[in-house]
Amino acid sequence: MLLASAAAVPVLLGAAACRSEDVFAGPDPLASPPRPAPEVITLQAVIAAEESLIRLYKMAIDGGPGATAEARRLNSLLAQHEQHLVQLRARLILPPGQGGTASPQDRGSPGGSSPKGGSARVTVARLRAAERASAAGLVRRLADVEPALAQLFASIAASDATHVMVLGG
Amino acid sequence: MAPITPVSALQAALAAEDAAIFGYGVAGAHLAGSIQSAAEHYWTGHSEARDALAAMISKLGAVPVAARAFYQLPFPVHDAASAMALAAYLEDGVTRAYLGIVAVSDPRLRDFGALAMQGSAERAAFWRGSTQAFPGMTASALLPGRPSSPPS
Repeated sequence: MLLASAAAVPVLLGAAACRSEDVFAGPDPLASPPRPAPEVITLQAVIAAEESLIRLYKMAIDGGPGATAEARRLNSLLAQHEQHLVQLRARLILPPGQGGTASPQDRGSPGGSSPKGGSARVTVARLRAAERASAAGLVRRLADVEPALAQLFASIAASDATHVMVLGG
Repeated sequence: MAPITPVSALQAALAAEDAAIFGYGVAGAHLAGSIQSAAEHYWTGHSEARDALAAMISKLGAVPVAARAFYQLPFPVHDAASAMALAAYLEDGVTRAYLGIVAVSDPRLRDFGALAMQGSAERAAFWRGSTQAFPGMTASALLPGRPSSPPS
């Protein structure tokens, strides 16, 4: 039985570093944190987009007239986006200390502009455009992921498409 | 579990379209006015989708599965409300079938399935009067959620 105590681990790594130079001739793979797999990067970007869409809905609801039929409708759609986010996050398991969302350059709202920072009222038309963009963006990513994740993306895209319809599209 | 092949996924979608065509015929008889017009419009769409799927299956060298002469309805249909419920049920079945196509490796078929299921999900929402968070997915396919991170 092998037991690796915390003190033994550096030793084991040191032993590995002494092996054939033919095998270990390249750059040290432990010199920097490994890059996430492409599928992880895709999932992080989709999570970031979903978070952005949720922020957009919250801005629309907060800036709206309150307990109206429209507010109830938007809250219902928001709840479904929060369910999307739960499912997407459940499929992303990262080592402790690593963030769960995309890098800044991968971020972006589905509507093409950041919902952060602006105090302008978020209109239903803007939500509709964001939903449409989200559905299209998810379909564009289908080829980048394994089948089960592709099916989740496709299902969320279909949900977004129904939201477009509810929002008058 | 047997792997999902393009032909088996397309055949499942074709079978779902055939069921929808039959079911819309039943539902339409209990509808009137603009709702009946919508059912007729959707019936035509399903017929066109059936023909397109049959052509795709033939192109792949397989024989398209034949429609059944009769389909068992999931519940009695005797008025407009039950007819609309049947239409939603049929569209859910079509959505699940197209979601199966998304599992194949061919990216063109994945796109095809994903776009087709958007149409059926929209029609289901029309008949049901509400949207779903995960059209086409069964509860068993969804993972238990982890606690969400603090709001940023």
